Amino acid sequence: MTQELNVWLDKILGDIENVKIERKRSNRLRVDVDARALPAVLELLQGRASYVHLSAISCVDRIDDDEFELVYHVWSYEARSLVSAHTRIPRDPGVYLSIYDLYVPAAFFERDIHEMFGVYFEGSPDMGKFILTEWDGPPPMRKDFDSEKFVNETFNREQYHPQWLKDLEKEGGGITTPAEDARK
Amino acid sequence: MRPENYEARKHPPSNEFELNFGPNHPGIEGNYAFKVKLNGDEVLEAKADAGYLHRGFEKLMEGRLWIQNIALVPRICVPDPVPMEVCYSLAIEEIAGLEVPERAQWIRVMQLEMSRLAAHLFAFGGHAATCGMYTTMFWGVADRDLILDRFEELTGGRVYSIYNIPGGVRRDVPTGFLERLGSLLDYLESRLPDYDNLFFTNQIFIRRARDVGVMSQEQALKWGVTGPNLRATGLAFDVRRDDPYLVYDQIDFDIPTEPGGDCLSRNLVRRSELLQSIRILRQVIERLPSIKGPIRCPIPNPLAWNVPVGESYPRVESSKGELAYYVVSNGGDKPYRVHVRGPSSMHAVQVLEKLAVGSRLEDIAQIMFSLDACPPEVDR
Repeated sequence: MTQELNVWLDKILGDIENVKIERKRSNRLRVDVDARALPAVLELLQGRASYVHLSAISCVDRIDDDEFELVYHVWSYEARSLVSAHTRIPRDPGVYLSIYDLYVPAAFFERDIHEMFGVYFEGSPDMGKFILTEWDGPPPMRKDFDSEKFVNETFNREQYHPQWLKDLEKEGGGITTPAEDARK
Repeated sequence: MRPENYEARKHPPSNEFELNFGPNHPGIEGNYAFKVKLNGDEVLEAKADAGYLHRGFEKLMEGRLWIQNIALVPRICVPDPVPMEVCYSLAIEEIAGLEVPERAQWIRVMQLEMSRLAAHLFAFGGHAATCGMYTTMFWGVADRDLILDRFEELTGGRVYSIYNIPGGVRRDVPTGFLERLGSLLDYLESRLPDYDNLFFTNQIFIRRARDVGVMSQEQALKWGVTGPNLRATGLAFDVRRDDPYLVYDQIDFDIPTEPGGDCLSRNLVRRSELLQSIRILRQVIERLPSIKGPIRCPIPNPLAWNVPVGESYPRVESSKGELAYYVVSNGGDKPYRVHVRGPSSMHAVQVLEKLAVGSRLEDIAQIMFSLDACPPEVDR
C-alpha cells in the first residue's frame, strides 16, 4: 500500500511544472515548488493522496536571497509518509495565500508567521495579534532584527540601576557588579 | 435620513456577558487566558489569549551554539521535557549524519517513557483537581516525584535533565539503576487499582466527564489533533509505531484507543498508556544490560562545531501528541532557524476554542486538562 501510493504520488506530482522532488528517506519527501503552484500541490496531496494532516508550516527568513522560505509539512495517515513542500516568496511585500480552506490548523501557523515574520496571508481567518500582544516593533523573527541592539536602544539601563540601588551598593549591599561588567 | 439608510443601533444582547478566564486561574494550565462570552453558564464563544509565557526560544536559539541550545529546549514544556531534548538532538543528528549507538537509543527510549509516565500522572492528577478531587492530584504529584528521583539519579536533574546531546547521551546508567527503576514500575503498577478506585471508576468523575468536550474522529483529523486526544476518538495512530524513531520498532507495545472522544475517553487513554509505558520500560530493563557499546558517537568540538548545511524535520510522540522540530543549518556554529511544533499549539488554541463552545463555564478547565494542553508550547 505504502509503496504503491508513493509511486503514484511521484507520478501526479511529476505532472505539475517546476516541481523538484527529492526522496530523503523512505517516508520523507521534499518537494520544491513554485509559489504559484503550491496551493494546487497541497490540494492534490490532500484530496487525492490522503495527506490530511498539516503537521506544521515553518517560515525561514532567507535574507541573503531577499526571500522567505515557507515549508508546509503534511502527513498521510494511510501512506505513513511526510511531504515537506518548500516554496519561496519575495521578502517584500511578503504576501502569500492562506491554505485555511484546505487545512484548518493552518490558521494558527499563519497567524504565528504573520506575527513573527510579518508575512501576510490572504484569506486567513485571523491575522490579529496573538502572542506578542503589546509589541509594536518590527517582526522579531526576521534576521535583520537584532534583539540586543533593540534592547540597548529601547530600554534605559538607568531604570534598572536606579539611584537608591547605587546608594545601597555604596554601603556594600545590592548588586555589586555593574551590569556592563557582568555581561562581559 | 432616508428610510433605506436607517439601521437600528446595535446593542450587545443583555443576556450575554464576557468573562476573562485566566491568566491566573487554578483551572488553567500555566499562564494562559480565555476570553469567554457567556449566556448564564453556557459558553457562547471562547477566544484563546496566549503570550504570557513567551520567552522567544526560537530567536534565542539562533543566537546560541548548537550544543548550548540543549539546555534551552526542555524549558519549552515543563511537565514533559525529555522529548524536547531528544527531538532537537535527532534533528542535529540527521543533518550532521551522526550514527547514534544502539545503547544510547535504548537509554533515550527509557527516558522518554519515564517522562511520559510522569507527564500522564500530572495530567490526570490535574484533571481530577478540576472535578474537585484533589486527592488524585496529590497522589499523582507524589508518584511523579518518585519518577523524578530516578531522573535525578540518572541525569542529575529532576525536571530538566539536559542529558541528551547530539550523538547520544551524556552518561551511562548508574549501577543498580535498572533494579531500582524496576521496583518503581512494580510500585506504580500496584498503584493503578488505587487510582481506579479513587478516580477512573469514580462516579463523580465519570458523570462529570462523560459527553463533555466531545469531538468526533473526523473533527479531530480536520483540526490537527494528535496524540492521546486523537486516540481517544478511536484512531490507533502513534508516531512511535507509524513513523518509528530510535528503537521503537524493536519494542512490543499496544496503542490503546477509546471510542468516545470526550473528556472521559481522553483520560482513559492516558490510563491505558501508563500500562504500555510500564511495559516498554520493562523491555528496556530486560534488553539494556545485554547491549554493550558506547553511549555516544564522537562529535567535533561542540564549541566550534559547524553543522553542515541542511534541514530536518524529526517527529516524536510526546505525552501530549506529535512534537516536531524544523531545524535549518546554513553551515554555521549556530542554528539558522529552529521551529518548534508543539502538540499543544493545536490543542490549546483552535481545538479548545471549538470544544468550549456550547459547554458550561465550569467545564472549560476540565476540557483544557483533558486535552493536556501545555501553554508554553504555544508561546515558545
